[in-house]
Amino acid sequence: MMKVEAIIQPSRFESVKDALVEIGIEGITVTEVRGHGRQKGHKEIYRGREYSVDLLPKVKLEIILADALVDRVVETILKTAKTGKIGDGKIFLSRIEDSIRIRNEERGESAL
Amino acid sequence: MAESPTSLTALGPQCEAQRERILKLFNGGATAQDTLRQLCELADDSIQKVFTELLRVRGSAGQGLCLLALGGYGREMLFPYSDLDLLFLFCNEKAELEFRPLISEFSRVLWDLGFRVSSAGRTLEECRRIEGDNAEFHLAMLDRRFLAGDNSIFVKLDAKILSGSERQTRSFLLTELQRLTRERLARYGNTIFHLEPNVKEAPGGLRDYHALLWMRQLAGERRDPRISPVNEDELTRNAVEFLSSIRCFLHYSNARNDNTLTYELQASAAERSLGVDDNLRRNAAEWMRLYFRHARTLNRQLLRFVEQKAASSISLRQRLINATIRAKSDTSNGKAFAMRDSLLEITNEQAFADRNVTFEMLAEAARTGVPLSRDSERAIAYIMTHPELPQRNMRITWPVLSEILGADFPGVALRPMHRLGLLIEILPEFRSIDSLVVRDFYHRYTVDEHSLRTIEHLQDLAEPSDPLGFHFTPIWRTVERRDLLILALLLHDVGKGMPVDNHVIGSLQALETAADRLKLSPEEKAEVSFLIEHHLDMSATVQRRDIFDPSTVTAFSAIVENQERLQRLSLLTYADIHAVNPEALTPWKAEMLWQLFVATSNHFSRSIDRDRLHASDEALLLEKVRQQAAWASKADVERFLEGFPRRYLAVHSPAEIAAHFALYQNLGAEPVQTEIKPSHHAFTLTLLSADRPALFAAIAGVLAAWGMNIMKADAFANAAGVVLDTFHFVDLHRTLELNPSEIPRFRKSIADVVNNRQGLEPLLKGRLAASLARTPKVAVQTSLNFDDASSDQCTLLEIITQDRAGLLYEIGSALARISCNIEVALIDTEGQKAIDVFYLTSERRKLTPQKQELLREVLQATLA
Repeated sequence: MMKVEAIIQPSRFESVKDALVEIGIEGITVTEVRGHGRQKGHKEIYRGREYSVDLLPKVKLEIILADALVDRVVETILKTAKTGKIGDGKIFLSRIEDSIRIRNEERGESAL
Repeated sequence: MAESPTSLTALGPQCEAQRERILKLFNGGATAQDTLRQLCELADDSIQKVFTELLRVRGSAGQGLCLLALGGYGREMLFPYSDLDLLFLFCNEKAELEFRPLISEFSRVLWDLGFRVSSAGRTLEECRRIEGDNAEFHLAMLDRRFLAGDNSIFVKLDAKILSGSERQTRSFLLTELQRLTRERLARYGNTIFHLEPNVKEAPGGLRDYHALLWMRQLAGERRDPRISPVNEDELTRNAVEFLSSIRCFLHYSNARNDNTLTYELQASAAERSLGVDDNLRRNAAEWMRLYFRHARTLNRQLLRFVEQKAASSISLRQRLINATIRAKSDTSNGKAFAMRDSLLEITNEQAFADRNVTFEMLAEAARTGVPLSRDSERAIAYIMTHPELPQRNMRITWPVLSEILGADFPGVALRPMHRLGLLIEILPEFRSIDSLVVRDFYHRYTVDEHSLRTIEHLQDLAEPSDPLGFHFTPIWRTVERRDLLILALLLHDVGKGMPVDNHVIGSLQALETAADRLKLSPEEKAEVSFLIEHHLDMSATVQRRDIFDPSTVTAFSAIVENQERLQRLSLLTYADIHAVNPEALTPWKAEMLWQLFVATSNHFSRSIDRDRLHASDEALLLEKVRQQAAWASKADVERFLEGFPRRYLAVHSPAEIAAHFALYQNLGAEPVQTEIKPSHHAFTLTLLSADRPALFAAIAGVLAAWGMNIMKADAFANAAGVVLDTFHFVDLHRTLELNPSEIPRFRKSIADVVNNRQGLEPLLKGRLAASLARTPKVAVQTSLNFDDASSDQCTLLEIITQDRAGLLYEIGSALARISCNIEVALIDTEGQKAIDVFYLTSERRKLTPQKQELLREVLQATLA
């Protein structure tokens, strides 16, 4: 099993979510996050006061998957989250040891 | 070795059979009262048998031990699957040593019989002690009931131990109970209107009723509401029966002590007409309205009692202060109400036969934030529901409603208006969402509750305790036409209760009828309509568009059109998200909303001269203006409009533009045309003239000389060099308001100064000196920002500084002195902060860096 973590633009979230549902992904954890990579922040002046927007809003998706599905999910996220501009985000992959469904204590991929 | 309780083996199946029988009766229509009584009798009987058998097995007579029922079980309201609260009471420590091992065995046997036991053991002496951190135990003891064992101990507990200590603990327990009640109600957002309410713990739940019983008992009230025959108590009994039926139903349906009335169980309860005697079929939403009606009864009675008790706890000093305030207000204005103990109380009930007096009291609440007392509400409700009492002035006018909606605390008035049915009387469109449950994954409250909460979130911005509101507070303090914003919030979701596919369409239909009835002007109606139609747009833009992309901001600005609307729409969006549920407005969303507001606001102030009107492309506008000014030729109107910034259209209606055009046509006869109109608590001066040096400074100077405080101003010029300035000012000394005959003299003064027939300095002398002598309440640091990037033709200058009388005159004079021409001016104030943006040219070009530096020095010296 793998964990796919994707940090994406908030504006792309709806499209990414719809595309993932379309390929049969049902379990997604979504978090509103802030941060920056190469797309540093910027400064905005409003009514004489300077506001630095150095941590930009992003959406983080977390999906735990059977290994066989990982490539398809990554491809779907890439296709729908990409605008070609700095700030489109990143995808991280990591291995998952086990999963347990709390309701019936099923384990492994069948618990996903 | 002890004998085993073999005679209890038959008891298990008997209990199970009894439970089945009781469930069958309940499903067959037995009342909750009967069901609870039978469950209680089953528990009593089983407990007595087990208790007797266990003592027999131990070979003990049980001397020195008795068993009590506490809490809900003690008051004979035992719900299916609920805990049995039991107390083993020992006469002394010796008895405790002997019988304590019995508790665990007793509990185990009862568990095996299907009862959930929650037991405790105390000696008589321990019952005397007050456990400061365990008020719940003392409260449960208020409902104690003898079950089994040595009755003499129970008699002793009542007669000797608790009769003394209860008196001592009464005050402690009442205070604790009020604290626990406040905390409980706050946990549920202080509202009964949850989409999936907890029928035990939430406001309006059964806990409200029991808390009220305890409070009355602790306060020493003799009246027992359980048996009192008066009408209100009949309502209470019905409400308790209805909610008890639901709680039984929930416990049976879930097969556990779960009190959440979920959507699914609402549908099932409605299907079987749970708690309703008539045979009318109701859908889930209709049945839930019955729930809310009963919940309101219980919650209202509890809150009224809490309020009465809270009033008595106000210090003597505060009472004296309040009495002084009351004495002053009573004698000075002869009102039929007064403030007492931080509540508005009715002092002359007869006066309330005139509905205008009710509205006056509500306006006072909205203005001051002091709520009506529950007794006042009850008195108004009595008058409203007794048609035999002659009533006058039943219909509210828009100016009166506008005063309530536009005040600092509109929610403080709207809450009682909704409870009293006045809101629905004034806005019948609101009825469609009254107590309406709409199934939704995100919303927590009924639609009417959500709508009222939006308004309360806004009024909370006046003094925000919530960091989410930090950025929005200045907007709330300065936004114009709050009344229209609040009206839009009241109506924005009424479509959810109408038979339409899209609730926004329904809400707009509702506005049509409401606007006609209230006689809103076309401009007011258009503004409310815009807010309703676009109430989801800003949220959608924040969540689905890249708000850091300039094209997103440009597109959003095109929808919103002007700064004033942006302010109202931002506040509406902030409040609408916030009122969905307590977690809906995350810091992340609040920040995104704020970023879009700032970007759009800056877009408006920095892009005005990019987008100018070409009259020949504006056929629709030309037609609208010509409808208002039928005498005008198309060519003349085109000539007038050509070259104005597009913002001019965004901030003026076709009727206003037609009025401006009329002034424009008179320029040949008199080179300075002015018009003065009273607006909301202020005046608006419109001036048209051919452009000339220091024109803006001259007008600002005359206003300062007359003691007028300029709140906002716009200065635009068309392609032919005709300047149209609009100043919104507050008449600080009420000169024009109290002496309308001064208005012509005021206009003449402006014309004379602009035409150089009169000097400005003598007029200003003294006025400015007095203003400078005043120490400002809040210090605002001056900042000057030049921007050459936002406009192709002009240099933008943004000035933030301390507002004061004559400020605009000083700035305008400084600009004129170094030959800077004002192409566009946007003047605004935020409390004591002046925020002015000027589009400047010099010799028809942007300001050179040297000129900018010179101007910076001059202004810094002027504003220091």
